[in-house]
Amino acid sequence: MTKVPHIQIENVTRKFQVSGGSLVALDNVTLDIAEGEFVTIVGASGCGKSTLLRLGAGLDTNHEGSVIHAGVPVDGPSLDRGMVFQEPRLFPWLTVERNIALGLENSGLPKSEKKQLVAQHLELVGLTAFAKAYPHQLSGGMAQRAGIARGLVNRPDVLFLDEPFGALDAITKTRLQDELQEIWAKERITMVLVTHDVDEAVYLGDRVVIMSPRPGRIREIVEVNLPRPRVRTAATLLQVRNRVLNSLNETTGAIDRERPAAVFEESATVSKQPITAFA
Amino acid sequence: MAVISEFFGHARLRPRKRLLGRLGTGATALVLPVAILTLWWVASDRGWLPQQILPAPAYVYEMARDMIASGEILYHTGVSLRRVIIGFAIGAALGLSLGIAMGLSEVVEDYAKPLFLAFAQIPTLGWIPLLMLLVGIDETLKIIIIAKGAFVPMAMNTFTGIRNVSPRYIEVGHALRFSRWQQLRLIILPAAIPSIFTGIRYGLTHSWTSLVGVELLASSEGLGYLLVWGRQMFWLDTVIIAMIAIGIVGFVMDKGLNSTEHLIQRWKKGEA
Repeated sequence: MTKVPHIQIENVTRKFQVSGGSLVALDNVTLDIAEGEFVTIVGASGCGKSTLLRLGAGLDTNHEGSVIHAGVPVDGPSLDRGMVFQEPRLFPWLTVERNIALGLENSGLPKSEKKQLVAQHLELVGLTAFAKAYPHQLSGGMAQRAGIARGLVNRPDVLFLDEPFGALDAITKTRLQDELQEIWAKERITMVLVTHDVDEAVYLGDRVVIMSPRPGRIREIVEVNLPRPRVRTAATLLQVRNRVLNSLNETTGAIDRERPAAVFEESATVSKQPITAFA
Repeated sequence: MAVISEFFGHARLRPRKRLLGRLGTGATALVLPVAILTLWWVASDRGWLPQQILPAPAYVYEMARDMIASGEILYHTGVSLRRVIIGFAIGAALGLSLGIAMGLSEVVEDYAKPLFLAFAQIPTLGWIPLLMLLVGIDETLKIIIIAKGAFVPMAMNTFTGIRNVSPRYIEVGHALRFSRWQQLRLIILPAAIPSIFTGIRYGLTHSWTSLVGVELLASSEGLGYLLVWGRQMFWLDTVIIAMIAIGIVGFVMDKGLNSTEHLIQRWKKGEA
């Protein structure tokens, strides 16, 4: 695993001005991501994981410290960095095809090539038959596939995903996780995925970054040294998952000791499938 | 109380299925006009009101045929339509521009909105005395008054539509490195279209009402003039015919607008 650092986040601090002072969303965060790596970031709500993602993508540049992508400081969004949002954010007045083509609006490619890229990415996410459909005609899973296609159509070398499957039902979610993994394997691009679902983080990530809230810090980075395709129910995977879960519980426990009920609730939502379910 | 409302709830729902289900919606729309016509006929037949005030439907019908045949109605309608179209086009274009400018720029909003709101509070017809002194009572006056009627709702609805565009959409454009022009053309304007159409609708209605108002006061042609002229001469048949013509033109305009809106917003089709 000796790869060149592709994304370097160094000593990054991000403060938000709130009424009556400033809130530290990220406190001195440092993270290197290798080229072609799949990094997942988990943490309780308010740990700054989405903030970190937005900084990486260049959607937010108001920070201290440095964010570097392929040797160049990130000073705004770039077509080399794709972005997928939790709500697919498709434009309801455009067909699926046109929505995806928006990603190429500023690519400078000739029309024929754009058309080909759109068709290719529709195929990649299995929406060829729905090219002319409008977003309201799609299911949640299909809409998110279109969102992923829009993020990828420009052939970025890194894709940032902000809880992309957070709003989907369990079955659709599982299927899309597999599809995303296949896309990643096929396209060989770096992926950074933020999630609150530990199973998802462990299943997809080469490394799992665990963040702790208030202020947002990286608590631990767990390597998932397991070959792909992974088996969701494999004991080795569950071991890693438990390790991540324990670490995560400690982060919330340390902060919310005075509110144990809240801690329990948070970790309950994190572990959707108790281990006993596989026994 | 609960029993009563439940009873009425059923009473309201069931006949709806039985009666209106069989007749088409086109037929249901005719129920009220036919009822009014019948009432009119009965009222004049029984002499509830003197003939000079409420002429018989048959007489008005005869008169209407004459006025259509002589081209009188068509002429006055044409004059009024022309005024509405010119006035509305000017007012709507100005309203759209101001709405977009205020929606996009907070600086413009800070400067223009307070005055605009004050301006909007003054009824269109309230401008007539001042404008009469400034521009006379010719065509210009009518066009300005009609334009003002369209301008206010157009500016207001465009402004609101643009302000209500979700920042999430804007952020997508940001992530795709859209220029300001691309943001406007590809995201902001399409997202604001439903609201802009509401503005066009209200604008057209206001234009039309203002037109009749201004023609009542200062004109020698047009449907509004026909109304005043008929009243002064005590030709109530003419008054009724002019009113019906105004109603029909307004109705047709609204229908036309409706189909344009559906055509432009085809993506909404099938949305419950």
